[in-house]
Amino acid sequence: MRTFADSNPVASAIYFFSVTGIAMFSANPVISAISLVGAITLYLMNNGRKSLSLHLFSAGLFAVMALVNPLVSHNGATVLFVMNNNPITLEALIYGVCAAVTVIAVLYWFRSFSDVMTADKLLYLFGALSPKLALTLSMALRYVPLFGAQIKKVHASQKALGLYKDENIVDSFKGGMRIFSIMITWALENGIVTADSMTARGYGAGKRSRFSIFRFKLDDVLLICAVLALSTVTLFGVRNADFEFYPYISTPEITAEVAVGYVSYALMTVLPVIIAVKEELKWKYLKSKI
Amino acid sequence: MEILKVENLTFSYPLTTSPAIKNVSFAVNKGDFVAVCGATGSSKSTLLRLLKREISPLGEISGKIIFDGEPLSSLTPEKSASEIGFVMQNPEHQIVTDTVWHELAFGLENLNLPQPVMARRIAETAAYFGIESWYEKKVSELSGGQKQLLCLAAVMVMNPQVIVLDEPTSRLDPIAASEFISALKKINRELSVTVIISEHRLEEVIPISDKLLVLDNSVVKSFDTPRNIAANLSDAKLLYSMPYAVQLFHAVNGKGECPLDIREGRRFIEENFGRETTALPTPKYTHSPQTAICFSDVYFRYERNLPDVLRGLNLIVYENEIFCILGGNGSGKTTALSVAADLIKPYSGTIEIFGKKIKSYKNQSLYRNCLTLLPQDVQTVFMRNTVREELEGAEEEAEKLPVDFEKLMDKHPYDLSGGEQQLLALAKVLAAKPKLLLLDEPTKGIDSASKHRLINILKQLKSDGMTIVVVSHDMEFACDCADRCAMFFRGEIVSVDTPSRFFTENNFYTTAVSRMTRGIYSNTASLSDAVKLFTLNKGGEQV
Amino acid sequence: MIVIENSRLRSAVKIAVPFMLIPLLVVLGATVFDEQRYLIVSIGVALLSLLLFAAGYEKKPTGSRRMVIVAVMTALCIAGRFIPFFKPVTAITVITAIYLGGEAGFLVGALSALLSNFYFGQGPWTPFQMIAWGMIGLLAGFLANPIKRHKWFMLVYGVLAGIVYSLVMDIWTVIWYDGSFRSELYLTAILTALPHTIMYSVSNFIFLWFMAKPFGEKLERIKIKYGI
Repeated sequence: MRTFADSNPVASAIYFFSVTGIAMFSANPVISAISLVGAITLYLMNNGRKSLSLHLFSAGLFAVMALVNPLVSHNGATVLFVMNNNPITLEALIYGVCAAVTVIAVLYWFRSFSDVMTADKLLYLFGALSPKLALTLSMALRYVPLFGAQIKKVHASQKALGLYKDENIVDSFKGGMRIFSIMITWALENGIVTADSMTARGYGAGKRSRFSIFRFKLDDVLLICAVLALSTVTLFGVRNADFEFYPYISTPEITAEVAVGYVSYALMTVLPVIIAVKEELKWKYLKSKI
Repeated sequence: MEILKVENLTFSYPLTTSPAIKNVSFAVNKGDFVAVCGATGSSKSTLLRLLKREISPLGEISGKIIFDGEPLSSLTPEKSASEIGFVMQNPEHQIVTDTVWHELAFGLENLNLPQPVMARRIAETAAYFGIESWYEKKVSELSGGQKQLLCLAAVMVMNPQVIVLDEPTSRLDPIAASEFISALKKINRELSVTVIISEHRLEEVIPISDKLLVLDNSVVKSFDTPRNIAANLSDAKLLYSMPYAVQLFHAVNGKGECPLDIREGRRFIEENFGRETTALPTPKYTHSPQTAICFSDVYFRYERNLPDVLRGLNLIVYENEIFCILGGNGSGKTTALSVAADLIKPYSGTIEIFGKKIKSYKNQSLYRNCLTLLPQDVQTVFMRNTVREELEGAEEEAEKLPVDFEKLMDKHPYDLSGGEQQLLALAKVLAAKPKLLLLDEPTKGIDSASKHRLINILKQLKSDGMTIVVVSHDMEFACDCADRCAMFFRGEIVSVDTPSRFFTENNFYTTAVSRMTRGIYSNTASLSDAVKLFTLNKGGEQV
Repeated sequence: MIVIENSRLRSAVKIAVPFMLIPLLVVLGATVFDEQRYLIVSIGVALLSLLLFAAGYEKKPTGSRRMVIVAVMTALCIAGRFIPFFKPVTAITVITAIYLGGEAGFLVGALSALLSNFYFGQGPWTPFQMIAWGMIGLLAGFLANPIKRHKWFMLVYGVLAGIVYSLVMDIWTVIWYDGSFRSELYLTAILTALPHTIMYSVSNFIFLWFMAKPFGEKLERIKIKYGI
């Protein structure tokens, strides 16, 4: 079953960049709100009810961000109350809420982005731009868990050697520094083996090509076309639908054009859900035939 | 047909007076399996690296290396990179990229091959080496054996005519090592790839080698079939690295054809010795009444959702004995050692060290003049830039060890040989003046001569009153140095006994000598016991 | 095109163009844009700068040993996070830069920002972090001589790097939140981030104090031993 997460990384990247890009670019609260709903839906679809802490964190951040604006900005005509001789205005509060919606939406999108775009896929994208950078990064990614494991080993050896004198923070910081110093030597000295192994297999002999395990399928092309089409329609639809906050809130008139823009953006945010449902149905249908 | 020919090769490193390789000549036929042996410091690595242009050491070189009819130096970069493969010791650091598939692709990418060609070559290589099931895994999730197999496959994918391997199994446990050697045998026999390999442990390599190249003091001492070389060995150090059948043959001054493997060794025994005495008298084992380590019902797991690694382990080590823990990978050996050293804490059960609960050793006092652990990876204990600085405060201990640290003083610890590193680390560990010494796989990556040296050191330490616990895969080592051996299986001890009984009662998990004498003699697990027994029997004509 | 004889100057120009000229143009041109679209423009510019840098890196051959060292340093930045409270990224970046040059410094800084976000979550902030950390390395490369010679200079550099890094990232936080730059919000952001800023600077100071010498010796040894 080919879900959204199995798409070619190029397709997934175009999707995420369009959907977050439009939310950030449009500065339109309705788009932001659609974006937030879509982002949370996708996140819930992929992660279910776990990671409650993320939702709580987001809610807290939302509250802070929404309240910061009215506290520092005193524009707007509708004064709600006065605090420390500063007027707190309705417009500033609403502006804060709208900004917070956009930010939280982007945070959620990038959560899903990180889930879908694993290191492998990001490296594939980087590889298209700069194969050498991607290789460097791939080597670093190889080293991180290797170093992590080695750090644990060094820590154990050092402890058994009796190098920790007391059990306090200064000692553990000193120990950390000692381990780090050992790690530097170990990593650099043994890194030469890696370099030899690269050279032995012809690295540096000339131009390199690039192997990838990701293929472009028809589905990917369709997905990209859909995203580009929906983006164009959205941007065109909402091109004049700007909101004004100060001194009074003024909302743009909802014309057919604007409505089409909103709808097409909403469609775009639920594309992964649509793909998932479609695959689910197809699978059920196939199963019923077996 | 000759694929590789070396003529009068001499090589010296910069700023040295004597050459590392002196006037070496030999020729390798296509499809040959050649083992290179020689003591540490015999320049095996230097010679092998000279055969691989890209990683040849810098220095002064004279003589010729001809590959496939052309001087090595005039090969095109593509041909040189792809047709001569090179595999090194340490699988961890040879791997360049983070995923298995990318590692396989790495060499092909360097050759600038188009995607379809790469896809096909990678697919067939992965299938041939049985890598398919872990093709998309991250390298960090693989076992040591899988990593080394990946290194081999990543070289094989480039379709080499010759592969050169520099001690490729020295960092592997015996089971992974023997799987790796089987893979080598397979590519040699099925694909006619020429193999040139250097090894510490020749037990498994010799029976499949066509030729053996013996290096001694920078020169080629002999280059012949293993059987001829084995029959005419004079160097004791080299003999240590030979299969036990060969060692046995020489220990009894055997005549005729020299046996190379267990099957031949057994035949040799059957044909040459009588069965008047089938067992040596076994002295009763006596131990101190005090315990050094006492585990009762210890349970441990690494994470809450993972299975138990120690499952109700009961273990007693008495004072002043050498206790060896054997067992397969993941049986909990190393975990038990770490628990005993209080590096990790069990969730249930009690541990006593010298009769005192481990919890009552407060404030790191466990590690002061009491217990210490020599880890498997000895590089984890080095902290300084020279041997001299490393040995600060451990000079006394260093003097007692049978290695001349004096001439190594200004070297970087990482520039020492495996055996020297081991002893340097041991000196540091002993400086803590422990009563209980724990060793984790001390024989991994060191040559046979160093191994014998280590056995003598441990026996000396024991006679000085120390208690020693060794975790090892190396059955011969355990058999030669332990007072008692224990077999770990799934986090529990399934048998404990003195080595001679322990190994002769095991059928599979036992020493080479025990395999050769099984059913003919009883209680014979070590080489020295076997020799004694043969002398008693005076069978054949030679003893 | 004008041929620049001095290779150091040439590489300086190559790096200066993407990182100084383009942002400058954008700042000047920002007035033309609608203020609220500044965020998307700034992300575009950041990506473009990185892309140009990558193109320069791509073109010239890098030996395998140099490449390994960059990868090792980058991974150490991430692996070094195990030490309680202190993060070694800036220190490692600076040390790499002074021993292996500004480009290596930029790479280590930028790649470790990217890599750490593999573990902590990517976001629109990634390209900015990459540039900010990269610049710390790049500048250290230009100032390699005084930094090597005077320890106090290095420590000051480390502390300033911590402060400037925070100040730059705060600008971006404000732009992200508001779509334009507002000084009162900026002040709030700086105040909120103050504990972090202090931590960064102190941590850079301590790391450079303890690590610079031994780390430098190790790098020197590797450079000599393996001829990099």
